[in-house]
Amino acid sequence: MTVDGVPNVRVCVEPVREGATVRAQNVLGSLDRDLLNVVDRIGGPFTPVGFYYRTMLRPRRLWPQYERVLRNLAGLGCLDKSGRRSGRYDVEHRRADVLVIGGGEAGVAAARAAAENSVGSVVLVDERAAPHIDGVETLAPARAIGFYEGGLVPVDAGNVLYRFRAGKVVVATGTVEQPLLFPGNDLVGVLLPQAVRRLVDDWALKPGDRGVIVSADGAGLDVVEQLRRAGVEIVEVVDLRESLPSTLAANGRRGRLESVTIEGRELACDLLVMSGGRQPAYSLLAQAGARVEYDARRGIFVPVDLPANVEAAGSVTETEPAAAPPPPSFDGGDAKGRCFVCICEDVTEKDVKRALAEGFDSLELAKRYTTVTMGPCQGRLCHLPSIRLYARETGSDEGAIGTTTARPPWAPVSLGLLAGRGLEPAKRTAIHHRHVELGATMMWTGAWRRPHSYGDAAGEARHVHEALGLIDVSTLGKLLVEGPDAAAFLELLYPNRFADMKVGRVRYGVLGSDAGRIMDDGTIGRIADDRFYVTTTSTGADTVIEWFDWWNAVWGMDVEVVNLTGALAAVNVAGPRSRELLGRLTDVDVSNEGIAYLDTKEAHVAGVPCLILRIGFVGELGYELHFASPYGEYLWDTLLERGKDLGIRPFGLEPQRILRLEKMHIIVGQDTDSESNVLEAGMPWIAKLDKDDFVGKWALEHVQARGFREQLVGFEMANGVVPAEGGQIVLDGRSAGRVTSARMSPHLGKAIGMAWVRPQLAVEDARIEIKVDGRLEAARVRLKPFFDPKGERLRA
Amino acid sequence: MRDIFRTRRMWRRRGELKPRYDVVVIGGGSHGLATAYYLAKNHGITNVAVLEKSYIGSGAAGRNTTIIRANYRTPEGAEFYRSSVELYEHLSLDLDFNLLFSQQGHLTLAHSDRAMITMAERAEVNQLLGIDSRLVYNDETARLCPELNLSDDVTWPILGALYHPPGGIIRHDAVVWGLARGADRRGVEIHPYTEVTGIERSNGRVTGVKTTRGEIACDTVISATAGWSTLIGDMAGVPLPITTHILQAFVTEPLKPFLHVIIVSSQMHVYISQTDRGEFLIGAEIEPYTTYRGTSTFPFLEYSARHTLELFPQLESAKVLRQWTGLCDISPDYSPILGLTEVDGFLISCGWGTYGFKAAPIVGTTLAELVATGRTPQLIAPFTLERFYTDTLVSELAAAAVSH
Repeated sequence: MTVDGVPNVRVCVEPVREGATVRAQNVLGSLDRDLLNVVDRIGGPFTPVGFYYRTMLRPRRLWPQYERVLRNLAGLGCLDKSGRRSGRYDVEHRRADVLVIGGGEAGVAAARAAAENSVGSVVLVDERAAPHIDGVETLAPARAIGFYEGGLVPVDAGNVLYRFRAGKVVVATGTVEQPLLFPGNDLVGVLLPQAVRRLVDDWALKPGDRGVIVSADGAGLDVVEQLRRAGVEIVEVVDLRESLPSTLAANGRRGRLESVTIEGRELACDLLVMSGGRQPAYSLLAQAGARVEYDARRGIFVPVDLPANVEAAGSVTETEPAAAPPPPSFDGGDAKGRCFVCICEDVTEKDVKRALAEGFDSLELAKRYTTVTMGPCQGRLCHLPSIRLYARETGSDEGAIGTTTARPPWAPVSLGLLAGRGLEPAKRTAIHHRHVELGATMMWTGAWRRPHSYGDAAGEARHVHEALGLIDVSTLGKLLVEGPDAAAFLELLYPNRFADMKVGRVRYGVLGSDAGRIMDDGTIGRIADDRFYVTTTSTGADTVIEWFDWWNAVWGMDVEVVNLTGALAAVNVAGPRSRELLGRLTDVDVSNEGIAYLDTKEAHVAGVPCLILRIGFVGELGYELHFASPYGEYLWDTLLERGKDLGIRPFGLEPQRILRLEKMHIIVGQDTDSESNVLEAGMPWIAKLDKDDFVGKWALEHVQARGFREQLVGFEMANGVVPAEGGQIVLDGRSAGRVTSARMSPHLGKAIGMAWVRPQLAVEDARIEIKVDGRLEAARVRLKPFFDPKGERLRA
Repeated sequence: MRDIFRTRRMWRRRGELKPRYDVVVIGGGSHGLATAYYLAKNHGITNVAVLEKSYIGSGAAGRNTTIIRANYRTPEGAEFYRSSVELYEHLSLDLDFNLLFSQQGHLTLAHSDRAMITMAERAEVNQLLGIDSRLVYNDETARLCPELNLSDDVTWPILGALYHPPGGIIRHDAVVWGLARGADRRGVEIHPYTEVTGIERSNGRVTGVKTTRGEIACDTVISATAGWSTLIGDMAGVPLPITTHILQAFVTEPLKPFLHVIIVSSQMHVYISQTDRGEFLIGAEIEPYTTYRGTSTFPFLEYSARHTLELFPQLESAKVLRQWTGLCDISPDYSPILGLTEVDGFLISCGWGTYGFKAAPIVGTTLAELVATGRTPQLIAPFTLERFYTDTLVSELAAAAVSH
């Protein structure tokens, strides 16, 4: 049933609430006049198990229509298409010394004993209700979802998910009463003893007027007294341990029980209590690592070899008086009712027999073909009966057939509860709020939120060329590599050379994998003989740190790698007037002699201790300032304030992308993919193949020897159309390369880009054709940066 | 239709192993059975045994999330999978077994401009090969999937999507059973519960296999063992550049039709479809650690649920019924390894990562052709094991370590 919009609610155990809306589901019309019933009756003989695999094949074009009908017939409840999240779920991490699952007699006794022995904190979880016990915290109604790695036991407590890790887990989940298989066993009025106990004891309801009991163990007989007290007339009690009727069937009209036929005797009744024995609810124990084996004497599967720190209490393992296993199914004589093995999935005994006869003769195949045990009850009511049936039909025994894996979750659990509040963390720089105040459009780069632009990407880009710009680059990964072996360590990690680097210099480095593929890039500054400052891309920081740590462990060098990514903020002051601004804020000599291109220096800027790196990702004179994060807003504000008369403007990521493209500076992951190497990416000077060794050296040597298969080049569109990034270079109708970056350069007034092309096209001024919106547009290959090819502006 | 009313065995009962077969296929999953089926059907090679250590379809074939598509990134990959989709489209009729192939369309969402570039690239590559695949923006996405949450009020707003109308889902077990029946009826022997314990070689070529049920002589062994490929490769003395990871998935309780298109989000590592049975089938990216242990984890359920609800808040009350794991054989470039090895007579199909099931029929036809003719078909030439020695990798990874 659907209750308050929540589909597939088991209303037999759902307490009634004031004002709750309860609707029938999976019916056409109403439950009493359900059109699907007609489909079921008339279609029955035409729809044996797996019928859909054999029908609706021809003609092929009609299958989509057939499929629509099938889909509409399948499924149970309906989702509200306009439903929103209620947002009322939360999660709590919990520890307990003893966690008891199940509040029956055994569970309560175990919890009480643990509390009395003062073992520490004791928590008892029960699906329904648990009594108060001194020294024990009870969670009810709550349900253990499963037993996961590391002893994690998540508990579903309605709108709170408790993630329990306990010193000891006591599983007292008891047993599940099993149905008997006979024709008509799905009729309304056929009940398990537990249902009778609930109706009579909990809700004071009389389950029927005339009752018949058929039981393979004591459970069915135990309710006789209760039924009598409730005023039910007991027509007949059949104890299967004493006498086994040759036929048994329930007969009904309009889905309700009217009589039971036992060996030809028809007994009018409206209640049939059946009990096919009790199967231990071992799923949690099996998930914890216990083995499950068949106990032939009792005809049930039992958990054995419990793992450490897990105990079982009560009937989940305890031996009870021998209950003879009932027959797998009863012959119904000439009864008309169907004999259900699996109520959830509507699978009958006939279906199972047919599956076995068709060759689905192992438990796993038969399960998948018939879908027995795959319904919402998770096999609680059909697993054992189906195995009994397989055993009889295949002439083997239950022990040899075994069980299927007890997959989590043990009980269905809602996505809302699992999702919790649904928080997704985002990283923000120390200057984040200033960007928002300045009206920046924020965008994702990896886990970071960054300004796309402050409203005028093209203008911001042009302004850096003409005057002065300021960009927050705090998202760069920042590592300190320190120790006597620091230079040797970097020398081995990068294809670049670092040993010859003077203190106070900066070098562009490209990090390669052991297969010579480009992993990341950044700048490396030598601050002291034994101390390097390494920056990485914003999204690559974590990978690079792991990579450094990994190799440091492998080589066992005398080096420390310290991650300063979050500790430091960084800004880039770029543009022809950047020197003038910096000069106002620091005492050090900022002239071209004082801080030359690719120099690094430690200095105070506006009173803040900074590491200055003079580099030029955006192609103009510029200084990257790295400093402690808490000064982020202060230094940002000061730079904007003191640079006001110089025309300073903040710029975002989009203008930075335009600027770097004008310089043909790559963005790793956009202009390169997982197979790119520095040689084919047009940066052969990076790879010092004369070095003794470095990570990926052999692979680059191999690329050198085999020759290039593709090359990264620049291109300029002939008529100013900007192709899509990801667009294809086409040669003779086939792909001959791909565009990785493309932009309109406001400064140059041209549509420019970068692309991977076949080597024969990697020639200055070669004509290529790029597919743009289905048309081919001409472009010319460029091998030198579009802007300032000689780097004069950078060195100025 | 006639089979509705009478019970007919799908395949023969398992018999004794013969002392000798022309071809031994290791692995009774979709690839092994497809290869056996096409060996018999296309080339008349029927003295074939399929050895399966458990029941047929017990590995990746029975655990995958059943998505069939051709919108790959590399021209090599896209062309290969296009052929597979075409074979799948006719496989139900070919096998006379309804595989319930539901070509409902496939939407890969982009939540970042970087992802949009990858989608654009795939669309362009696909269109050049005549594959129905294009970039769509949120107005069209809203028409294709009105239930999808396209608002900005989420962590990762959707910017666009790659739409691939022929993409679909299929009943994976039916593919296994249909192929097994087809192979069996043509004379192929299927031996479940028969585990291979060794591969015999002499002078650099295969001479037989050892199994838990005895030894078999043969000239050709085909390994189609996915997550266990490296172990079988070791038996043949062929080291494979494969690591084995788990991939996790779960299904919800069956619900009435709600979602009519397959939704994939690489950003959130989640893909969602609703099967013909009404269950929502939700899978994730592979776990980063290597293992053969198929243990399901709880954090997987938590983050998958979180990400699913970002896309479909209406599913808040839907309940998870069952979760499971499968093994994935990951190759360095995320493309498969297919065909000959340095040991004569030892052929492989591995390195499928999360894309294996989609390729079953085309793997079957091409490997069968290779066995029958001794020549590697053009379609699978880019995917040889040799490429790791000649450095001609085929990168299905868009950016470093982001599959799609």
